[in-house]
Amino acid sequence: MKLYKIAWRNLWRNRKRTAITSASILFAVFFAVVMRSLELGFYDHMIKNAIESYSGFLQIQHVDYQTDPSLENTIELDEGFIAQLENAEGVKAVVPRVQTFALASSGEQTKGALIVGIDPVKEKKLSNPEIRLVRHQFTKENIERLNENSGIPESVKEKLNGLLYKSYTNTGTIAMDLDLDEEAESFLLSILGQETAFPGEYLQANDDGVLVSERLSKYLKLKVGDTLILYGQGYQGATAADLFPVRGIVSIPNPELDNKLVYASLEKAQYFSNLGNRISNLAINLDDNSDKNLKYMEKKLSDMLNSETVTVENWKVFNKVLWQQIESDNNSGIIFLGLLYFIIFFGIFGTVLMMIHERYREFGVMVSIGMQKTRLSVIMIYEMILMGILGVLSGIILSLPLILTMHYNPVHLTGDMAQMMEDMGFEAVMPLASPGMYMVWQAVIVAIMVALSSIYPIRKIFALKEIDALRA
Amino acid sequence: MKVIELKKVEKIYNDSEVKVHAVRGIDLEFEEGEFAAIVGPSGSGKTTLLNMLGGLDKPTVGDIYIGGTHINDLSGSKLIDFRLFNIGFVFQSYNLIPVLTAKENVEFIMQMQGISQEERYQRTKALLEEVGLGDRLDSRPKQLSGGQQQRVAVARALASKPKFVLADEPTANLDSKSTENLLEIMEKLNKEENITFIFSTHDQRVVKKARRVITVEDGKVLSDERK
Repeated sequence: MKLYKIAWRNLWRNRKRTAITSASILFAVFFAVVMRSLELGFYDHMIKNAIESYSGFLQIQHVDYQTDPSLENTIELDEGFIAQLENAEGVKAVVPRVQTFALASSGEQTKGALIVGIDPVKEKKLSNPEIRLVRHQFTKENIERLNENSGIPESVKEKLNGLLYKSYTNTGTIAMDLDLDEEAESFLLSILGQETAFPGEYLQANDDGVLVSERLSKYLKLKVGDTLILYGQGYQGATAADLFPVRGIVSIPNPELDNKLVYASLEKAQYFSNLGNRISNLAINLDDNSDKNLKYMEKKLSDMLNSETVTVENWKVFNKVLWQQIESDNNSGIIFLGLLYFIIFFGIFGTVLMMIHERYREFGVMVSIGMQKTRLSVIMIYEMILMGILGVLSGIILSLPLILTMHYNPVHLTGDMAQMMEDMGFEAVMPLASPGMYMVWQAVIVAIMVALSSIYPIRKIFALKEIDALRA
Repeated sequence: MKVIELKKVEKIYNDSEVKVHAVRGIDLEFEEGEFAAIVGPSGSGKTTLLNMLGGLDKPTVGDIYIGGTHINDLSGSKLIDFRLFNIGFVFQSYNLIPVLTAKENVEFIMQMQGISQEERYQRTKALLEEVGLGDRLDSRPKQLSGGQQQRVAVARALASKPKFVLADEPTANLDSKSTENLLEIMEKLNKEENITFIFSTHDQRVVKKARRVITVEDGKVLSDERK
């Protein structure tokens, strides 16, 4: 008879108690895993939105750019070096950018604007402004035309007025706002798409036009084809002033950016700012975004760069706010889980106390007839481990369908919560992280709890006096 | 052949403010094949004596030798191993391991002794058949009557081929038929296999069967009669 078999049978001597203790571990693990998945999923989502889709995980910039992001702290990189970077192992995208500020004016309106010079082709690999191009807009005229269209159901028409002046980058979002099934309503979406079509095109390489963010375009009363005047200060105090035809309007999720962003081609931005071949930074995305690889690549690129005035920074440095936000939220989550497990620990410990109390006499008998205390302790440890495994596995198995479903079909937030996230510049969805190491950590935590809970029974067994135990 | 030897054994309990002199200078010897009963009123010291014979308790003064081994010198795991290989126990309330079947309860002792699976199986089967439970090998304790459980306990006590078996009030929880049956089995094992049995008991039926009766009172041996 193997000791683990005895332990397993012992567990089921008091089915209810074992079931309740395992269930408490199950729910703790389930809750912890889902909560952790939600947190990690949200962090991934934030990083994807802010880092992977905009700033890049690493940036090559002037050593003083972080403290003074002006044109005076721009850098000039050799084309050969950029090509070498693009071909370096582990590098996914290398995108040069120029960033400057200028006054943007159209007609009688003027506003401060952030000018971002991009390589239109390379930028597609990173922030890809093309997908932000407004391609549909609901105006009074096209809503009236749609209301007259007999092919559109009344239920859809009723919702159209709510979309007045709303812009869309694709028909999928229109379908979501109208609660339409994209597959089933393809005909309807085709009509809506055609009627609401909005002009505009993405920048070409060396384009002399610009893309203007939606809110800024509304403030400046700009339409596609209009001319935007930019006036500012260039490199080394030169005057920067030029006219730019508007090629398209881009809808930026972050309202702050949407109020001031102007995309120009890199060449045109450099010419406007009198920068020559200088750039503000080189944004880099990597194949593997793990912390370990990030550090490795930061070092590798620094070695390649070998410069005292130009440096490689990772996103945790150039986007400290996001990093600290994630860190602080993560720490709060860990403290909360710690409290949860602390409570569960006492549940497990209570069960252990009851088990010891109930079976103290039996332990006395077993030791009296010749069972070594170490063997008896092993049985107790097995019992604890089996109970832990039972709870952990059930918790993880129970959480998997929910995690997988919500990972592949994230919840789309609505109302104030959605607004808050959009205001922060994030897509208003709540994805759960895919199953991973964080699940293993829950098992490790339960294992630690089991180990801690086992200390008492083991001490009790080793201190056991046969006579006292037999009288119990 | 001498199996047990007690020399001037005393046991004083110091746990409370008042010292309790449970056993006072007992000298006793048990030969192989004895069927002995230790009797006496409650509090006379017979259970303390039995516990010391079983190595479950240590004398305050005096020496105990089992098969020539001075067991006062043994402690911890060595004493547990000594019990495993030398002493069989039968308790008043059976004390079988509730999660094991009759067969597993008997086999478990031999497993701890490191006996091979085949030998364990054969001996377990033979022992349980000998106590009349050959058809209840796979029954759990709660599926057996009190008498049957005590018979499994006897088989378990014999499984390790001990030098002697200590039985503390083995019939206290049994009805008369079960008591009769159990005593017959133990007497048969004693006579046919020369196994030494030492009982602590109040039960006159046990006393009647015993070939040696040791009466204990106030921690002293009042009488030691051989029939």
